[in-house]
Amino acid sequence: MSGPDEVRLSFEADTRNISLARTVAAAMAARADLPVDQLEDARLAVDEAVSQIIVAAPAGAEVVCIMSAEPGSLSITVSAPGTHEPSRTTFSWTVLNALVDSLDVQLADGRLTFMLLIERADVDA
Amino acid sequence: MSGSTSWTGESRAREHELLRLLVTAVHDRAVIRDELVTMHLPLVRHLARKYADRGEPFEDLLQVGTIGLITAIDRYDVERGNELSTFATPYITGEIRRHFRDKAWSVRVPRGLQELQAPLREATDRLTRELQRSPTVGELSAALNVPEDVVLDAMEARHSYSASSLDQELEAGTFALPSIDTALDRIDERETLGPLLEALSPRDRQIITRRFFDEWSQRQIADELGISQMHVSRILARTLEQLRAQLQEPAD
Repeated sequence: MSGPDEVRLSFEADTRNISLARTVAAAMAARADLPVDQLEDARLAVDEAVSQIIVAAPAGAEVVCIMSAEPGSLSITVSAPGTHEPSRTTFSWTVLNALVDSLDVQLADGRLTFMLLIERADVDA
Repeated sequence: MSGSTSWTGESRAREHELLRLLVTAVHDRAVIRDELVTMHLPLVRHLARKYADRGEPFEDLLQVGTIGLITAIDRYDVERGNELSTFATPYITGEIRRHFRDKAWSVRVPRGLQELQAPLREATDRLTRELQRSPTVGELSAALNVPEDVVLDAMEARHSYSASSLDQELEAGTFALPSIDTALDRIDERETLGPLLEALSPRDRQIITRRFFDEWSQRQIADELGISQMHVSRILARTLEQLRAQLQEPAD
């Protein structure tokens, strides 16, 4: 396979769908060759990001989750319609920030997007 | 008596009266609902009996079945005109099945995945010692000689352990009880979160603090407490879910 290995999920903003995204995150973390403790972090991070975005999204909105695996790194974006950026001083943000190596939020064209990156800890850069 | 088949015309008339009352009731909803629940307990008992020999206490099945019945009563639409017992049956069996899905993992986890649990744990421990880090799924797959997706399934299945089997796992280590006050300073919800964290067991609180405030890895926390990384991961998932639910509850 050439280039990053990418999977796109699209689902209704309903908490029932969180476990779906979590399971796919674990599978993609495995493809990115992350150690299992970081794989579990990826699962928790997607859980947290998708939960946050569902709470903020209007009922029935579409959540799009794109996960891209490369050797030693997994990048994940989670987006849904949104009008304001989340506070960076909540417990949820603290949790998310601790689980990933890089965390960013973008608000553009009425969509809120979380961008997460998890990189393998033991690999020399 | 099984189901509602032995009902007299009298009890059926009473049921219809109660269901109509429930639509308009404001203050006595609980009383009306209780009577409806009592009337349909034989149905719950009848349905629960079908699942009685699968290793869960019958009382628990009755309890979750009753939750399904209450949900059905709340959602029942008098105008539709079908029988409440017919309407409620899928809700009752749904709750009972969900109970098995949540609690009794041995019922739903395929045998092969169960049998893989011990080798998976051993391989994870051995590789962690050899590599001085957590192994990857690929490394576990090679060590166990099973495909990667089976390793993933086995890991996922492990998440389905009930809370009680989690707590039966070793309780080891001493708890340094890092101060959560300073960590909480940066958090908006500190006044709500503080007491919630205080209410956790010392072990769970330490795991949450280490991972999210001190930003230790799961591996480091596992080493400090002398428990497996998988165990740390399950406690994190469970505790986070609990805290998230509690934080979203409206304050009284």
